[in-house]
Parts: sequence; structure tokens; C-alpha cells
Amino acid sequence: MPDTVVEVRNLVKYFDGRCVLDGVSLAVPRGCIYGLLGRNGSGKTTMIRILLGLEPPTRGQTFVLGEDSMRLSAKAHGRVGYVAEGHHLIQSYKVRRLVGLCKGLSLQWNEELFGHLMEMFRLPMDRKVRELSAGMRAQLNLSLAMAIDPELLILDDPTLGLDTVARRQFLELAIDVIQRQGRTILFSSHILGDVERIADRIGVLVAGKLVVDCTLEQLKSRIRRLRVIFPRQAPEDLYITEIVNQQRQGREMVLTVANWNPQKQAILETFCPESCTDLPMTLEDIFIECTRPASALPQESEV
Amino acid sequence: MLSLIGREVYDHLVYVLACCLVSAITIGVMILTSVSGIVQAAYVSSTILMLVLFVGLCALGAAQMYGDRANRISALLSTLAVTRSRILAARVLVGVLTLLASLIPVLIAALILLSLAALPAAFYPRMIWEVSAAVALTGFACYCIGLEIGWTTSKTWLILGSFLLVALLASLVFAKGPGLEAIAILLLFIAAMLVHTWHKFTSASF
Repeated sequence: MPDTVVEVRNLVKYFDGRCVLDGVSLAVPRGCIYGLLGRNGSGKTTMIRILLGLEPPTRGQTFVLGEDSMRLSAKAHGRVGYVAEGHHLIQSYKVRRLVGLCKGLSLQWNEELFGHLMEMFRLPMDRKVRELSAGMRAQLNLSLAMAIDPELLILDDPTLGLDTVARRQFLELAIDVIQRQGRTILFSSHILGDVERIADRIGVLVAGKLVVDCTLEQLKSRIRRLRVIFPRQAPEDLYITEIVNQQRQGREMVLTVANWNPQKQAILETFCPESCTDLPMTLEDIFIECTRPASALPQESEV
Repeated sequence: MLSLIGREVYDHLVYVLACCLVSAITIGVMILTSVSGIVQAAYVSSTILMLVLFVGLCALGAAQMYGDRANRISALLSTLAVTRSRILAARVLVGVLTLLASLIPVLIAALILLSLAALPAAFYPRMIWEVSAAVALTGFACYCIGLEIGWTTSKTWLILGSFLLVALLASLVFAKGPGLEAIAILLLFIAAMLVHTWHKFTSASF
């Protein structure tokens, strides 16, 4: 059983001459909840689709459960649960028929868990998929993906269209899945609070490049936002490496820096600041700083 | 595999039944015209109905592929424990089964009617084999045209392309006659169509 469940090697993808993924490399270890973040069009869905073999890469290779994505065996497919953005279910089918089809095409089917989920989400079996609301489709898709007891669960913006209660239920479910031995989740989301709650490793895609790939704790500890008050006007010549963002207003300067260390602290001290306060950063703050167009954030190897 | 075949049949039941219905009508017309003694009319009407059957088989192939692409069915199926090759294999198998279910009764009926007409015995085996093979292969080739053309989002191309290719193929078989040459051409055509369809389907974005 490989320890790396998902591996991406120098992945490049072009759509009509436009580069969507630009040399992305990452590895998701077994048992990890990997949160993939990025703005719209940053390449998250494309990467997930390539991982599942739904889209061929332009260059590079991806491996899922030790197998090349473009040559995934039926057995490997059967060990991966997938909830797609937009929930691509067969719209003309009744829920019952769709469930029957998925059950028939699965390696294993956890009837008890599926029944529990259907009951929890109150999904009607006798209605057509197209008659369900977006939230109900999301719940159905998630239930189908969970019922196969997947070794790897890939979720592409899974909480999109869910209300707060359903989102909470979903997150609890995801945590439940991870608690089972050896289960791995790779998910992308726009709701950073969700990612922060459940992910233990974060990847941030900016314009097709993976600018962050580390654990949530590392990310939070390495990126610091400081409010520095100077005796006079805040200096314009404060040259510290890896400044992600800086804002000056009179005597005050708010500085976001990656890989904060004693050397950088010493440089700051030479400007004799009156005070230097650490400002707490949520994942959302970090994400916004990372995805600024002219972000000075260092590459993945540095963070 | 059985689930995939079941899904294909269930989703395209109208086309499968339509092909079987055309087959039944063909048998009925053949019997009626033979009984009434108008042999020429039997040939003409059977030929026309066979053409309708070929169009029906082409429509089945096109509906399978077009419906899949439009409703992103394979996008869902290929995330389950199946491969793209298996999805396509199940699809083609349903086409073959429909073809056999439509043609075998017609061929049996034709055999019985021919034996009643009492043509020279030595003439039968080769003629029957060649005509049967040519008709079956033409039907399958038409189905393959449907598969090939169906993987599109353009309805105009789907309809025009299918009709043009079916007409071209049928004309070719009629011009050559149902001999060994026609069979060889049809086999090559089917192989090329299937390989291309398989390549297109297994390397496409879902």
C-alpha cells in the first residue's frame, strides 16, 4: 500500500494556448486531509479532473493510489470517491435508479452508511435528479461517493450550494471518514473557514502555480503579520526579504512577511520601532495575501 | 459489465425496440409479398426496410454517444469502478445484440421463404452466406458510423454526417453487390471506425 496516495509531478495543462497549470508538483500522504485553495480559474478543478483521468495533461504525470491517472484500473477507480463541482449526476434518472447504477458499478457498497446519509439528508428516492435542488444534488453526490467506502475521497468544492446546517453535517461527515484508518481526503473549496476547520495540509494555487504546499500549522507559523509603530514617519526603505504585503499610514506600518526569523527581526530593530505587535491571521487572511496579483510570496520550496 | 449493458439498453430502449419493430415489419412484408406471389415486390420492400433498419442502427449508435456527451454520463461512470474501455465495450455490445436481434429473425424468415421458392440447391449456401454477411456487416458499419459521428455537440453535423455516411456506405454495398469484396471493404471500414471511436472516447475530456 503506497504511503503517498496522490502524487503530481511537474503537471502542465494548456487550454487553447492558455496555461492553466504551470509545473505543479505535490504529494498527498495517506490519512491526510489536503485542502486545495485558489481563486476562480486558478486550476483547482482542472488538476482534480486530471487526477481522476477525466482530462489528459499537456505535460507531467499524476498518480492516484500508485497508478498513473490516465491508466487507472477499474479497481483503483473503485477505491476513489469523487464529488464533482456542479455534481454531474445523470439528470434524467430517478434517484433510486441512479443509486442502483452506482451500486452495481461499485467494488463495495456500505448500505448502512448510505441509508444513514439518505435519512440524514432526507433525500427522496422516487424523484428525478433534475427535480432536486442544488443542495440536494450535492448531498446525493456526497452520499454516493461515501457509500463506496473510498480510500481516497476527492471533493471539488463540495459544500457549494449547501446551507449552513448541511455544510456542518458535511464537515462532520468528512471528519468521520478521516477517522477511519487510512482514509485520505483531497478537497478544494472557496469556503476557507471549512478548509481551516478540517484540513491538515494546504495547497494554494495562484494562476496555475502552487505557491503554498505545507501543513496548516507551518503556514500559520511562517507567515506573520505585524503592526509596527515608528517614532516618526514609517520608513520607505525597509528592505526585508519575502515581504508579502506592506501598508504604510503615517507612523504605522502593517507588514506581512513569509518565513519570519531572528535576522528579519534584527533588521526591523535597526529602524527603532516604538512597538511591534503580532496580528493574528486566519487562513482567509493568508489566502488573500497569497493570491494578491503581485504577491511577493516565495515559492512552495520556500514556504 | 452487466450493469453497464443494462444501463445502455434502458436508456436507449426506444431505439432497440424500433430496430426490432422494423425487423418484424420486414418479416411480415416478406411473407405477405411471397404468399401473394409478387417476388419482385418482396425484394424491393425488404431492401427499403433494411435501409430503414440501417438508419435505425446508426441512430442507436449516435444516440448512445450524443446522449453520453450531452448529459456527461461517462463523466459520472468513469469515476466508478469501471474504465472507459469497458463503458465503450458495453455500448458496442448492446449495438451488436440489437443488430443480431433484428437481423437473425429476418434471415431465418428469408431462408424459409427461399426454400419454399425452391431455387437450385447448389445456389443457396454461398449466396445465403454472402448476402447475410454483407447485410449484417452493413448494419454494424452503420451502427459504427453512429458511434463515430455521435461524439459531437453539433446536432446538424450529427444528422447530416450520419445520413451522408450511411447513404455512401449503402450505395457502395449495392454497387459492389453482396460479395466477398464488399465484405472485405466493410470489415476494414468497421475496424477503422471502431479503432478511431475507441481512441477518441478513451482520450477525450469528460
